[in-house]
Amino acid sequence: MSSPNNGPSSLQIALMLASGLILLFLATGDAGAAGPKIPRLANGKPDFSGIWQTTSAADYDLEPHSNRKDAPPGAGIVEGHYLPYLPAALEQKKKNFAARDTLDPALKGYTLGVPRGIYYPEPFQIFQRKQDLTLVHQFGHSVRTIHTDETDHPKDPYDWWLGDSRAHWDGDTLVVDVKHFNDKTWFDRAGNYHSDALHVIEKWAFIDPNTVEYKATVEDPKVFSKPWNLSVILHRHREKDFQLIEDYRFTLDYDDAYPPKPNKP
Amino acid sequence: MTQINPGRSALVSGLAISVMLTAAPSLYAADETKKSEAPAAKPAQPATKPLKLGGPGIEQERSFPKIVSGKWTGPKTADGQPDVQGHWSNTIANHNNFTDPQGGILNDPNPNRVAKGPREERAPSRVSDPADGQVPFQPWALEKVKDFQAHFHDPVKPEYIEPLARCAPGGIPKSLFWHGYEISQYPGYVLFQFNSGTRIIHLDGKPHLPENIKLWNGDSRGHWEGNTLVVDVTNQNGKALFGRSGEFISENGHIQERYIFSNDGDRYTYEAVLSDPTVYTRPFTVTVPARKWTAKDQPNGWHFEVEPANYTGKVALKEPILDQYERICAENNGGFGLVAAEEPKK
Repeated sequence: MSSPNNGPSSLQIALMLASGLILLFLATGDAGAAGPKIPRLANGKPDFSGIWQTTSAADYDLEPHSNRKDAPPGAGIVEGHYLPYLPAALEQKKKNFAARDTLDPALKGYTLGVPRGIYYPEPFQIFQRKQDLTLVHQFGHSVRTIHTDETDHPKDPYDWWLGDSRAHWDGDTLVVDVKHFNDKTWFDRAGNYHSDALHVIEKWAFIDPNTVEYKATVEDPKVFSKPWNLSVILHRHREKDFQLIEDYRFTLDYDDAYPPKPNKP
Repeated sequence: MTQINPGRSALVSGLAISVMLTAAPSLYAADETKKSEAPAAKPAQPATKPLKLGGPGIEQERSFPKIVSGKWTGPKTADGQPDVQGHWSNTIANHNNFTDPQGGILNDPNPNRVAKGPREERAPSRVSDPADGQVPFQPWALEKVKDFQAHFHDPVKPEYIEPLARCAPGGIPKSLFWHGYEISQYPGYVLFQFNSGTRIIHLDGKPHLPENIKLWNGDSRGHWEGNTLVVDVTNQNGKALFGRSGEFISENGHIQERYIFSNDGDRYTYEAVLSDPTVYTRPFTVTVPARKWTAKDQPNGWHFEVEPANYTGKVALKEPILDQYERICAENNGGFGLVAAEEPKK
């Protein structure tokens, strides 16, 4: 610096004032919460609207595993590494694993269930209003509504592929209670599974405006000896013009049958 | 999922027959038809059944008001869209028959389901232009449609299975006269949740997907003009049929939709212009009337598949919150009449 003056120039003062204002904005723009400003609905609740996807290899196998022909290696996403199977359930899991290339429900195009739909390696989009979040999964026919309207599970429930999701806010964390599942979905491609007694408690929270930490506590007394926890990080898709592209698979085997074509007898 | 061999048809033998697991009372029009038609104990039925808007059954009315495009004076969403959120359904019939919506399925072997009385006593064709109410098919395409109609009840080849029975999305325009559906709105989007497939209408003007991507529900770009949601649909795969009468568009087609809402929020008129120089001789217009279903209406297994939610809040509600249970389908791969079965009968 070669300025002959001892004091700051007017340009320097302006810069200092501007940066001070920016710092003040960053500090107060978040209603006291730490970290960068996250998107919010008009009612002040975190707004998870957007298209999300995990980069984890969770869908190959929730548990730690070396590489194999149909999966890259992975450290797993389960707290404590291994699922606390009951002895008979562990035997079933081994059978599932051995036949995974034919039995995995995802291979048939079936709805992935909860929590698998969240960490399956395809994007899903959250549409959020004050009263609910609607999750549209690119894969399959899955549309799941998470209710945030002070409603509880139905008194006379069915069993559903995606369960019944009722949520409340714990500060900036969305806590979702999901139950009333059927037993037709798996947790991953490695045959980890559940019964219709599955109960999932999800916690959704922003790490920053484009990153969400998703945690789930899973319990199923018919299959596991105790509840267990998993977590994945979800990233916001920010590519230009990114959108979901429908991925319905039931009819792929019959694709040639439709539509009618003039040159086909 | 269970594999069964119905032992009746060479076609379905060996195909996976899975159970449709849904909270909806039925995915199959046949069931509803059976319920709503009187048994054939009496020799003669009245030419026309009384219809009631908001009543039970699929058919709600035989004629309907035409709503025209204009200003929107009703409520708006926070981002300025006309607020049309809620449960909606068509008012005249399901997808049994595209051009004679209340005329029953063509060539139906069950005499109880064959339409009675003159054509004028039933709702008009969904084809509102040309005036004859028929799709202006090129000769080869008309032949294919007639072939499908001839085999709908005897599906001896895979193409005679209506794709919806394989859990394919209903496609456009059929989704709008299949079961009831829900419209919800968000900044930049209108979302249609159908029982078979979801449509995301993008309002942000982004370009359509590259043309070689083909989708059951196409790729939709919309914008609002007063009371009218205008949607441009491309990229459809042409595989969805318009009904059990077999009408279709190919992957070369283009659909321009107008959803014209009444300012009282009770109804809309759907008008779509379908063009496809490889299938039709000229563009034609499809008109479908729809009405909103609210907590004032009785739940209805076709149009309004809801149950009161288990509200636990302390503030008294103006009207009950309604749960629409899971919209899902597992393939059944059957022809008409061969509905899902969990276990083979012994």
